[in-house]
Amino acid sequence: MSISDSVTGRPGRTLVIAASLAAVLVLTACSSGGQSAATGSGERTDGGTLVYLEPDAFTSLYPPAAGFYPNGGVVNNITDRLVYQDTETLEFEPWIATDWVVNDDATQFTFNLRGDVTFSDGSALNASVVAANFDLFGQGDPDRSLAISEAVNNYDHSEVVDDDTVIFHFSASSPGFLQATSTITSGLISADTLTKDLDGFGAGSATEIIGSGPFVVTDEQLGAQLTITARDDYDWAPASFAHQGRPSIDAVQFIVTPENSVRVGSLISGQGDVARKVEAQDEAQVTGAGYTLAAAQTNGVNNSLNLRFREPALQDIRVRQAIIAAVDRNTIVQALFSDNYPVATSILSQSALGYVDTTEYFEYDPEKAAALLDDAGFAEGTDGIRSKDGLRLSITASEAGPQPRSFDVLTLVAQQLAEVGIELKILRADAGNFAAAVLDGSQVQVFQSMVGRADFDVIKSQFFSTNRNVTLNLNKTDASIGDQKLDEILQAVASEPNAEARIINTQAAQIYLAQQAYVVPLFEEPQVYGIAPYVHDLSYEAVARPGFSQVWLDK
Amino acid sequence: MSYILGRIGQAVIVLAIAFTAAFVLLQALPGDALLIKFESPESGLSPDQIALLRDSLGANIPIWQQFFDTLGGFLVGDFGYSVQSGTPVSVIIASALPNTLVLATSAFVVAIVLAVALAVLAQLSWLPWLRTMLRSLPSLFISVPVFWLGIVLIQVFSFRLGWLPVINPGPIEGLIMPVAALALPIAAPMAQVLIRSIDDVLTQPFIAVVRSKGASEWWILSRNVARNAVLPALTIAGLLLGELISGAVITETVFGRAGIGRATEQAVTNQDAPVLQAIVVISAAIFVLVNLLVDLLYPLLDPRLKTIATVNA
Repeated sequence: MSISDSVTGRPGRTLVIAASLAAVLVLTACSSGGQSAATGSGERTDGGTLVYLEPDAFTSLYPPAAGFYPNGGVVNNITDRLVYQDTETLEFEPWIATDWVVNDDATQFTFNLRGDVTFSDGSALNASVVAANFDLFGQGDPDRSLAISEAVNNYDHSEVVDDDTVIFHFSASSPGFLQATSTITSGLISADTLTKDLDGFGAGSATEIIGSGPFVVTDEQLGAQLTITARDDYDWAPASFAHQGRPSIDAVQFIVTPENSVRVGSLISGQGDVARKVEAQDEAQVTGAGYTLAAAQTNGVNNSLNLRFREPALQDIRVRQAIIAAVDRNTIVQALFSDNYPVATSILSQSALGYVDTTEYFEYDPEKAAALLDDAGFAEGTDGIRSKDGLRLSITASEAGPQPRSFDVLTLVAQQLAEVGIELKILRADAGNFAAAVLDGSQVQVFQSMVGRADFDVIKSQFFSTNRNVTLNLNKTDASIGDQKLDEILQAVASEPNAEARIINTQAAQIYLAQQAYVVPLFEEPQVYGIAPYVHDLSYEAVARPGFSQVWLDK
Repeated sequence: MSYILGRIGQAVIVLAIAFTAAFVLLQALPGDALLIKFESPESGLSPDQIALLRDSLGANIPIWQQFFDTLGGFLVGDFGYSVQSGTPVSVIIASALPNTLVLATSAFVVAIVLAVALAVLAQLSWLPWLRTMLRSLPSLFISVPVFWLGIVLIQVFSFRLGWLPVINPGPIEGLIMPVAALALPIAAPMAQVLIRSIDDVLTQPFIAVVRSKGASEWWILSRNVARNAVLPALTIAGLLLGELISGAVITETVFGRAGIGRATEQAVTNQDAPVLQAIVVISAAIFVLVNLLVDLLYPLLDPRLKTIATVNA
């Protein structure tokens, strides 16, 4: 749980030590007045406000919308969940639920609850409010424009047995539900809060969102900052948390600092304590100033290029295999990123559940790429681009705004593909054009994306026809499915109740995606935080949103 | 009086056109906020769920009806809701507008002071090299991007020297750098026009008469030239308002200040039509208002224009 476990940034470590030594020396030199320099006692101290620099303003505190990092950073700290998922082992522990029973086909989940938990408005967190939470998250409410939670599938209804027992019933096997109850998209909110509509959850009404978590939203300046304050009577953290009871720090101030250089500069000039999203190119600046970097893993689908295999240029598996063989992923990662971004070895992250190494399918071999294209009958034209019967190997990739250095990545990929006679164009567009283009296979044939989520279901979420459908296996205009087998394999992951079998099914899905050459996994995408040296025990939930309940400041 | 009424009538027409143009353009853009929010693969929603949400958010109402609904709402001060966050647009505007007004007004005042000071100094300096330098400053600052200037100010005064915090500054502290970043590029064209028109006025025969009567340079500048030279500068000041608004978008983003500029940037990113519609209409209203004020000020400054206005009326 502690940050030291996940601290990487190896090249900077000597620098960090050197810089901290220098800082200590300077401080000691300054303290000639007799008072010793406050470099920290190393023991937990209470009090203080942590200034957290966040690139984007939060938009909504509706828990199912908490996948967006700025939303999740708040929701993670103001709500509790039924169960806690250990971020290292990905095992489940009791939290608001003391224990749970799942029936054999995973269609019925019974939870027993702690009886002593209250929301910050004083109301009790009991079985009926838990039931009401999942009735909303599992079904959504289109009348209030509230979407269903992506994590909850096949939800049918809830049944309140008594004050501290609730049963959830599913219309089909839903083994992913236990994990779903641990994610921030299932943060428990009070009965009053549950009656709000989309506007009620939106930015501007944050102080009215009531959870049972260690912090409470106490102040909001729309679009600029948000303050959460420690709850004095909080006493129901998961048992494995080292620090129990009220958080050590008094408050956390989230300050929106959109400009990267300003965010990093503010951090290392001592104006902030933690900054989210330190870009790879800024990492050295942070470690050089004696600050720590924490690269929290996102445990889901790696940053990858999804190949839309139903489009004419990509229908031949040899073309897709050639694309994979032509992309030199090591060079891309070395040129643009740091050690915090390991080269992907599968479509899933190494720390994801059910991961299997499929590196053998993704080896860089430009000669093989050329041979595959020759074999497929694509010959080089006068402009160096291959074509066959009038079909030019010219494809378009969309720049993925939220993904780190997406344009630079795609530029390198385009150079590498050009070497073997494939033209890759990069689509840069405003949000509206982008949103329309990525849904249209005739405009975008290569779609870059990733998903952070620590559950078996994540691979299904990404590729299944009626979920994210990133390879456009489902053609929305004629409702046809290109590869029925892909859908079946993914469905098998999401509906298999037996954990052992789920691992096997997840591995099968990874191997199938690799064999069919549907994806080019690039790198494991972390969330990189810059942290002041006196900030201790910042934690991350399973998908790297920050948790402040354990934090203490040593200054 | 009827001149003023006529001008107000014109202003209303301009606003109506701005409203309609904004509405049509926002509709004509490919994609919409709902597409961005719910249909991107990132949302993970199934086609059925998306259809339900689109329906509940009124995306299937005919365009002409949406137009009149929106127009009716605007007339009674109801701007609708942000599609991205669900926040009422009136709340967004109400919390952002005061910040931006303070920033823009301060920047505008500072810009005027700078421009006037520069123009006067450029006339009064007796050293030729100093005159040349002062006269070339405006062209330098016209070409300085607000974005770059903001970053440089922050790097130097906040990160290196530690004089002004960017994070959690006091109300006055927090204004200094953003106002400087916004004022300099606006002061530059104003100073340029002012220097030029002072030069023009100085070549007029009546100045030679005043000078031959033994008036000092300062006397000439303050009593005779100023009133004549200020008109072109006033015109450009009205036009620079647009510059001020676009500068605020960048300044507020760089300095992380809440305001209309930041709200615009976010609304554009998410194609949040209701927010953009309100911002366009409000900006147009301010633009129209300021230019109306400028036009009404002319006759006060220059009696010749008063006659023309009366004759026309």
